[in-house]
Amino acid sequence: MEEGSIAPSPCWCHLQSFSCGLAVNLFAGDCELWSVKSSFTVRIFSHLVSRVVVRAVRGFLSNAQAKKPLALSLHGWTGTGKNFVSRIIAESIYKRGLKSNYVHQFVATLHFPHAHSINLYKDQLQSWIRGNVSICPRSIFIFDEMDKMHAGLIDAIKPFLDYYELLDGVSYRQAIFIFLSNAGAEKITEVALDFWRNGKAREDIQLTDMQNALSVSVFNNRNSGFWHSTLIDRNLIDYFVPFLPLEYKHVKMCVRVEIESRGYAVDEDILSRVADEMTYFPREERIYSDKGCKTVDAKLDYYYDL
Amino acid sequence: MAAAVTRRARRFPPVGGGPEAGPCGGAMRAVVLLWLLLPGLAALEPLSVGLAIGVASALTGYLSHPSFYCSYVECCPGSGHRLNATALREQLDGRLFGQHLAKEVVLRAVTGFSNNPSPKKPLTLSLHGWAGTGKNFLSQLLARHVHPAGLRSKFVHLFLATLHFPHPQRVPLYQEQLQNWIRGNVSACAHSVFIFDEMDKMHQGLIDAIKPFLDYYEQVDGVSYRKAIFIFLSNAGGDLINKAALDFWTSGKRREDIQLKDLEPMLSVGVFNNKNSGLWHSSLIDRNLIDYFVPLLPLEHKHVKMCVRAEMIARGHEVDEKVVQAVADEMTYFPKETRIYSDKGCKTVQAKLDIHEDIAKAVD
Repeated sequence: MEEGSIAPSPCWCHLQSFSCGLAVNLFAGDCELWSVKSSFTVRIFSHLVSRVVVRAVRGFLSNAQAKKPLALSLHGWTGTGKNFVSRIIAESIYKRGLKSNYVHQFVATLHFPHAHSINLYKDQLQSWIRGNVSICPRSIFIFDEMDKMHAGLIDAIKPFLDYYELLDGVSYRQAIFIFLSNAGAEKITEVALDFWRNGKAREDIQLTDMQNALSVSVFNNRNSGFWHSTLIDRNLIDYFVPFLPLEYKHVKMCVRVEIESRGYAVDEDILSRVADEMTYFPREERIYSDKGCKTVDAKLDYYYDL
Repeated sequence: MAAAVTRRARRFPPVGGGPEAGPCGGAMRAVVLLWLLLPGLAALEPLSVGLAIGVASALTGYLSHPSFYCSYVECCPGSGHRLNATALREQLDGRLFGQHLAKEVVLRAVTGFSNNPSPKKPLTLSLHGWAGTGKNFLSQLLARHVHPAGLRSKFVHLFLATLHFPHPQRVPLYQEQLQNWIRGNVSACAHSVFIFDEMDKMHQGLIDAIKPFLDYYEQVDGVSYRKAIFIFLSNAGGDLINKAALDFWTSGKRREDIQLKDLEPMLSVGVFNNKNSGLWHSSLIDRNLIDYFVPLLPLEHKHVKMCVRAEMIARGHEVDEKVVQAVADEMTYFPKETRIYSDKGCKTVQAKLDIHEDIAKAVD
């Protein structure tokens, strides 16, 4: 993609703005210009995801007058690549990716474990977000395991996702919020299965088929962190991104990528064996992998035991 | 601390002459300096000194006069300041879509209030409507006309119920803080603007805390609140407004025929009795302290298209009708059978535009 020159520089650059401005060529290795890497299209085996996420992020980054922060909600079966995609988004904006000081990851079961301390969590979360966005407007916040998050905790950050120009002197319009969740996975699988049973190609599944069904089912799902949350009420989520369950051929692709990244020669026989070892659902048709691409590298260790 | 005291005691009484550290040494230095300048003092004579002092005071007077420094620093508008009604009308016509009622009411209310040299009470507007109909947008537009910096101004204050007053058990604390904040800011600038968002989420009774400021008092504890503006934004009553708009549509009448008198009484009572409204049984309505209830109607398909076009123009792209149609079609509409009004108003239009513009570019 063309380097977005209109949008403001990432926060790393604010510290050394002189190098990011004119002398970019001198420090080319250090300063990360905007780019959504092509690894998106290569390694995400879902046409829906790559289509939506690339366009959404690119459009948001190049829009100097965004009216609200970008809010992506990634839904899908386990092992389909949600954390992977959030990692890629972080890496395409900040060189250090998830390790950057400006990327913050919250895991519901880890950071907000106790239901009775929810008021404390609300205060802390609001202070954390406010503080970090005032230092770096282009902060990224990733919330994992949204289906485990207490209903109402997410309401605490609703004000930051809304269309306000300024809140207590801080503008949140350039921040990015990513929500990862397993909620809605059954609905997605349902739609995908329907397509498969009717003989249609997986690539024919359109976003519109998924989006509306997803939004409503996530909203009404008691286990979803969004249950009756004002986030959907107020339409503060910009995009619902569905992750389709992975088929046998995708599992083989995962294995192939893993083997190549380890530097071994690709052996088709081992590929098939590892893929065969995974469990698939539904029981009769056995199309989709239960765990997505998870545990593939462990199984590989077994075969490449050198 | 003790060491300093003993040091001073040692030097007391002061010893004349010689450069020493300490307070008496400083006095000695001043005397020496004055003695050195004595020859220079002979050059001074009444006329030039008088002239210098005169020029210095004139310069100071000029620099400290509001007309000079107000072009660099934000100042509170004086009492002679009047709102530019034509500019406001232009902005409303060009940027707020589908709200003929709200436009008229707000324009008249704000211009009348601004042109009144001595209003009897602060202007209190209550904006009600479905999500995405433009309540925040309208309030920010208004604020920008009173104070050019808009929300960034020192004199415009935005309060969100879920952000600023989150815990129900701390309501007494919030009441006190809110009163102090309002009192302090209005005494600093009489033309302050206070915007309260998410009134439907605000704790019942918290709003009662500011009731005294909205009333017809000439002064409260020496501070006059009569020139301030209070704006309340809420979703409460949104369903009633939608119902009324739908009734109009089904009976074949035009949207522009809806009058305020059709909506206002029903709105006031509906909001008053709605347990979720921040104004529930609040004395704000009881005492008729709300000057105007401003209803915002739900947006139709054509208004969504206007929003999309405005967004494309704001981004500097040329308007592509195909993209506009595609984005407007993608929004969801209610009621389910007739599908007239947009569920989210104009919200998420930007996001959808990103995707469709990209598709259009790829096709071309």
